Amino acid sequence: MCTLQKQHSANGPPLLNDVAGEYFAPLDINGRRRDADERPELSKGSVEFVAPTEYMVRPPMPPLYFFLIDVSLSSIRNGMLKVAAETIKSSLDKLPGFPRTQIGFLTFDSALHFYNLKSSLTQPQMMVVADLDDPFVPLPDDLLVNLSDSRHVVEALLDSLPSMFEENTNIESAFGPALKAAFMVMSQLGGKLLIFQSTLPSLGFGRLKLRGDDPRIYGTDKEHTIRIAEDPFYKQMAADLTKYQIAVNLYAFSDRYTDIASLGTLAKYTGGEVYYYPSFHANLYKEKFSHELARDLTRETAWEAVMRIRCGKGVRFTTYHGHFMLRSSDLLALPAVDCDKAFAMQLTLEDTLMTTQTVYFQVALLYTSSSGERRIRVHTMAVPVVTDLGEMYRNADTGAIICLLSRLAIEKTLSHKLEEARHVIQLRIVRSLQEYRNLFAVQHRLSGRLIYPESLKLLPLYGLALCKSLALRGGFADAHIDERSAAGFNMMIIPIKKLLKLLYPSLSRLDEYLLKGEDDGKASLQRLVLSAERLDPRGAFLYDDGFRFVLWLGKVLPAEFVKNLLGVEAANSPDLSKLPVIEQNNELSRKLLATLKTLRERDPAFYQHCYLLRQGEQPREGSLLLFNLVEDQIAGTSGYVEWLLQIQRQVQQK
Amino acid sequence: MVKVTMIARVSDGLPLAEGLEHFRELNNGSDFEFYKQKAKLLFNKLSLGEPGPSRMSLRIEPYCFHYIMEDGVCYITLCDQSYPRKLAFHYLEDLQREFGKLDRSKIETASKPYAFIKFDVVIQRIRKLYLDTRTQRNLSKLNNDQYKVQQIITREFNEVIGSDENKNAEDASTNLMISNRALPRLSNDIESAIRDSKVMEKVALKWMPAIALVTVICILIWARVALWGVM
Repeated sequence: MCTLQKQHSANGPPLLNDVAGEYFAPLDINGRRRDADERPELSKGSVEFVAPTEYMVRPPMPPLYFFLIDVSLSSIRNGMLKVAAETIKSSLDKLPGFPRTQIGFLTFDSALHFYNLKSSLTQPQMMVVADLDDPFVPLPDDLLVNLSDSRHVVEALLDSLPSMFEENTNIESAFGPALKAAFMVMSQLGGKLLIFQSTLPSLGFGRLKLRGDDPRIYGTDKEHTIRIAEDPFYKQMAADLTKYQIAVNLYAFSDRYTDIASLGTLAKYTGGEVYYYPSFHANLYKEKFSHELARDLTRETAWEAVMRIRCGKGVRFTTYHGHFMLRSSDLLALPAVDCDKAFAMQLTLEDTLMTTQTVYFQVALLYTSSSGERRIRVHTMAVPVVTDLGEMYRNADTGAIICLLSRLAIEKTLSHKLEEARHVIQLRIVRSLQEYRNLFAVQHRLSGRLIYPESLKLLPLYGLALCKSLALRGGFADAHIDERSAAGFNMMIIPIKKLLKLLYPSLSRLDEYLLKGEDDGKASLQRLVLSAERLDPRGAFLYDDGFRFVLWLGKVLPAEFVKNLLGVEAANSPDLSKLPVIEQNNELSRKLLATLKTLRERDPAFYQHCYLLRQGEQPREGSLLLFNLVEDQIAGTSGYVEWLLQIQRQVQQK
Repeated sequence: MVKVTMIARVSDGLPLAEGLEHFRELNNGSDFEFYKQKAKLLFNKLSLGEPGPSRMSLRIEPYCFHYIMEDGVCYITLCDQSYPRKLAFHYLEDLQREFGKLDRSKIETASKPYAFIKFDVVIQRIRKLYLDTRTQRNLSKLNNDQYKVQQIITREFNEVIGSDENKNAEDASTNLMISNRALPRLSNDIESAIRDSKVMEKVALKWMPAIALVTVICILIWARVALWGVM
């Protein structure tokens, strides 16, 4: 005998809905639908639906890439223009969306240069617009073209761009007007806007001032102002861009102040990303830039997307953290989101007690695929509800906690002092350990020991690492303001694993590993504690935080070894900063490059440039390596032991 | 010149492809939203099964719709009223010829909206040929007497699509136009659990009369017994 189910409740609120006639199916003896296993939406945690017409306001958009490139003197001198043009050209075949992909270019210095890419031309035609107060678009069509139709014209343009501006001595940058012009060209369709900027915007609206040089502002109430955009133009532009489904990725190259805090606002509110290459020089950093740009152009992208997360009764999402535009309190607008982005949300328990055993979370992304199909991707997760607080602690996820804490801290720095943001991190850790301690205070006599669950044993360590991270550490002298801003933007979008590696990088002894013969094939790099005392002057060490490598050479390392590994120059010259790591003609060097390659391939989203460093080489040694050895007490910060003592004292205070 | 191009299946109005617009004419991209909604109304009307003429022009100030229906697919374009009708229909014929090269069975079985979105590349190419009315190619088409455009009916749009349909569509379209209305919260047509229930319907139509009849008979018998004593 079987029972028929005419009503069902979705896994959200316990409301009953009628089962539509055509969706009806009988239940088995366990009360489960007989056809549940054949229906992915009822048995799989991740499902994708094809969206019907109600879910689109317009036909699915084609993938669209628009390049806005600064061709002022700085871009020519540092070689950025050449690398960008070459990389774009070699990525053309791999741009998603064939045959509908659209492409366009706009270069600028003190004027705007538009390019007619009509397919019937053999060479692109450049049109210069010098009116910056009221920029206009000189052609209604053909500034944005179908890549397949105009491929030859696009390639001709990319080939000639470096030579076109080779002699350019123009130092001005009309960034604001150029951005507005790019927006006007792209606004009908939307798409990805990739901006390449090497200098501070200096002309027209949106020009930026040299601020952030004043050390006196640190520690005052005005400190946070240098970390946010001063000119409302940027946030307003970001809002307009998002409205028309345009996402901005900013590539910044400079050895001087370019106000990343302001420029990055464009990426932040359009769901984009900031790539920062300080002191960029093509002959050194070419691979890194090229690799990351190619990745950006070819990775899986979701166009004109919106995301919403829902949950069961008894919980409610309060805040969202990441790069997006928030609409109507719970809808995240993401003009063009990709597979390398992560988002964090905070939830709160509602007043009503949770009576169910399980609470469900469901996140849905409505998007247009690169193949021109409107889809909805749904992930559903069931989480058990426990009545014992201790049990909840024992199942805590340190990675998720740290990820959320870091995003909250970065956001705090936009309205408060760095010191306060760091203090809040420590406070939160202390409070959570206090609550845990209180669970046992009644039954046991707790002496002055620190009580914590196994699951949170690394929480204080990561908390310390977070306080010492580039975005949050110290004060004026400890990080350049642009680097700080860029690091902050980066931390708001990377996934948990990447963040944990960034906060607590890996340090391994390299010379012994490389010298081991082939028979030891299974040997892998052993991770060491991040402390300077582990750095043996007789050895070579590799430091990897996921974004860069630092190859540290001890003082007493045999010169022969260095010569084999890195070449004669490395062995003899005192200044290793300009030396690239190139494969030498020997087994040792080959093994080194192979190791670096394997490590780089672990995460295709970023490419680690390898910095060479000799022991004692200041100030590089400090900034590249020593300040990042988080367990050490250095330059006025606490070491791991002091930090734990501080926490323990504060936990016991209440 | 040609402003908007839409291709849909006649049987149910399912959109198959649409031309890509690059640059917002003047500064009102939203103007075209209005006309696109009108085009959708037209598709709906054509899908209702009345086999009208396969070619027609519908004037709608300050533009004009031209459409052709061929092999179960309807091709609509929106042009300026000053754009030569002959060229507009040549354009539609060109589109139809290219689209007709696609697999017929795929068109009939398509269930996803904009299943042939990739065709927009072809629409763009053909549209470009018709942009300038004074090219050699277009002039010769205009002078070609063989294509009899005078026989194609011209009507006012509002005549053909009644004002009720117009109004309903406008209400629906304002809902859909808000781009952040991504995931609808509740169905707009909640079925009444009582009124629309099939069981209730059966009860009402079949059993009620029978019960009523039996009740009346019982009352009559009782009345007879009560009034006249024993039967």
